[in-house]
Amino acid sequence: MTGSIALLGQPNSGKSTIYNNLTGARQHVGNWAGKTVEKNEGSFTFNGVKYTVTDLPGSYGLSGNSDEEIITTDFIKSGKSELTVVLVDASQLERSMFMLAEFARLDKPAMLVLNMMDVAKDMGKNIDTDALAKKLGIPVLPFNATDTKDYDKLKKLIAEELKKPHRLSVKAPEGKADVKADSKAKFDWVSEILENVTRTKASDYKMSKFDRVMTRPILGKVICIAVVLLAFMVSMIVMLPFAGVGQMIPTLLHDPVDKLLTGWNVHPWIVNIFSMMIPNTLSFTISMASFVLGVNIVFGFLEETGFIARAAYQFDGLLSKLGLQGKAICPMLMGFGCTIGGACGTRVMDNWGQRMLAMSIVWSIPCASIWSIIPVVSGMFFTWWQTMLVCVGILAYVIVSMIIVSKVFGRKLAPIETRSGMIMELPPYHKAHWKHILKEAFFKAWDIFKRALGTVTLVSLIFYVLSFSRDGNVNNSLLYRVGTTIEPVTKFFGMGWQTFVAFLSGAFAKEAVLGTLNAVFMGGNSVMEAAFFSQGTSTDTALLGTAMSQTISAAEALAFMFATTFSVPCLMALSTTYKESHSLKWTVKVALFYICNALVLSCIVYHIASLFT
Amino acid sequence: MRLTDSTADMHGRILSVSGDDHFMNRITSIGITEGTAFQTVRNDRKMPVLIYLRETLIALNRADAEKIEVEAV
Repeated sequence: MTGSIALLGQPNSGKSTIYNNLTGARQHVGNWAGKTVEKNEGSFTFNGVKYTVTDLPGSYGLSGNSDEEIITTDFIKSGKSELTVVLVDASQLERSMFMLAEFARLDKPAMLVLNMMDVAKDMGKNIDTDALAKKLGIPVLPFNATDTKDYDKLKKLIAEELKKPHRLSVKAPEGKADVKADSKAKFDWVSEILENVTRTKASDYKMSKFDRVMTRPILGKVICIAVVLLAFMVSMIVMLPFAGVGQMIPTLLHDPVDKLLTGWNVHPWIVNIFSMMIPNTLSFTISMASFVLGVNIVFGFLEETGFIARAAYQFDGLLSKLGLQGKAICPMLMGFGCTIGGACGTRVMDNWGQRMLAMSIVWSIPCASIWSIIPVVSGMFFTWWQTMLVCVGILAYVIVSMIIVSKVFGRKLAPIETRSGMIMELPPYHKAHWKHILKEAFFKAWDIFKRALGTVTLVSLIFYVLSFSRDGNVNNSLLYRVGTTIEPVTKFFGMGWQTFVAFLSGAFAKEAVLGTLNAVFMGGNSVMEAAFFSQGTSTDTALLGTAMSQTISAAEALAFMFATTFSVPCLMALSTTYKESHSLKWTVKVALFYICNALVLSCIVYHIASLFT
Repeated sequence: MRLTDSTADMHGRILSVSGDDHFMNRITSIGITEGTAFQTVRNDRKMPVLIYLRETLIALNRADAEKIEVEAV
């Protein structure tokens, strides 16, 4: 026996919380056929019966012609789900019942869930749910999305309803040709239904202390930026213990595995896979997943309390120029710390197109690892004030790069006709429900760990094959052969084979860049070690500086720095983007764009800089 | 007057909303319909207008807020 239900509700109705709690780990994410709208399907089992749950895209109504609304309407009409669970916010009953008025016209089996009953109660609001159920002719369930006990009641009711479903017995609001008259009919319908069910006394609205500060034009923005930076630090703290354990793996495993396998006379090509590549891949993926855990905890908190909505209010004007919602400020600021954090922070965006566009733009933001490389490399060729200029130049190009990305991909991901100014509710400040936040964060982190491990291992293996050399000498690696063969081409873009190899290793991990430079200019270690066993290598930047400045020109160094900064982010950030967007096609598209953009930029910087040196 | 001309703490009523169907659908589905009582909460230069309406705090960008005629009550 199976059953199928669909969840329908406005944004902020608590729909995703209910969906996540109902389905737990049994979720599948895809796209609606031919649309850039995410499709979430999951399932749960109750009393031996399996129920599939479709989380319909959130929208305020169903009459508009946005993709979300068309998909939702078509899906309900198709009858693919036997029951629609309509969610409304009990604390804003009149406004959120609008969705039920829209649904009423579709005349399909339904039940109503009044979410956030606790908030409504705190507001002194009384709702006669029995009277409401009687009027509507469908069951009405008072609910608290964060109360685990309520889910049993919900599941039980769903099971009962699927056996004997109800349809609204009340007549649907009359349809009018004019949008204005039509909406009025729907709100009149709602008022009529709520009469004698609940009473709302018109009262003076007083902003909470939180809002009075958060909505100040300048102070609010400063606080937003400070809070996101703090959030980054907290994510790092959450990450540290897990990542610390993860980073012990390569150090602990390297020597014993190496000794054991070498003792068995295994070919070094295989030995290094087990002693270096696999432990390192594991360590990388653990670090990545634990950072994702931290980001999900802090963003879950910020989202639930209502902070993200305030940030959206503050930055909407600025970010709308990039085709983004104001909310994108949070993942973007996160990107200055780590692109992985930025990519998974885009969970706060409302739809897939916005999420993908925000991730693409976050890639333009140099992460902390890049900021740790640039001054070092720059310092080898330039004086301190010239290094400052390099950094300013990079920062300036961040803005240019973001604008280019939004121009190139924005038209498809956030079509102009869907870019409308902000019309958004600011949900009241809620207390965070830690249990729920932690549960969801751990689930997401584990999920990304499982799914990214394969991608990361595969790409690591490719890089391993390229960088392997039996004696550790770079000149005996495939990378050297490829690099020197195509040097005439890369030279045109401003990079010789050495810097080009380092540029490639940056796409693998930014931490590998200095080690790779050390390998190609000094032969102090192998590229393989730089990429897979950074613990085992150390770079003397003074010596490296001397070697580099004797081999390459300042113009080439400058071109290299720009290319490395504005190329694709590291493999971990790439695979996070892939896993978050669920779209290999778009991840590859954006990655190719970034690589081309980096090469063109490198070419321009090199040829201009050559004029002055 | 237009919503953008209202001042903080003003209580009012929506007189008329005008725009294309796409806009009308968006604005009415969030609850802004003719005759609805509201309170302006914040109206700062270059910032979205904040209003309280149907028990909800709503942020409205300025360009769209200009299309809404209101009266004080």
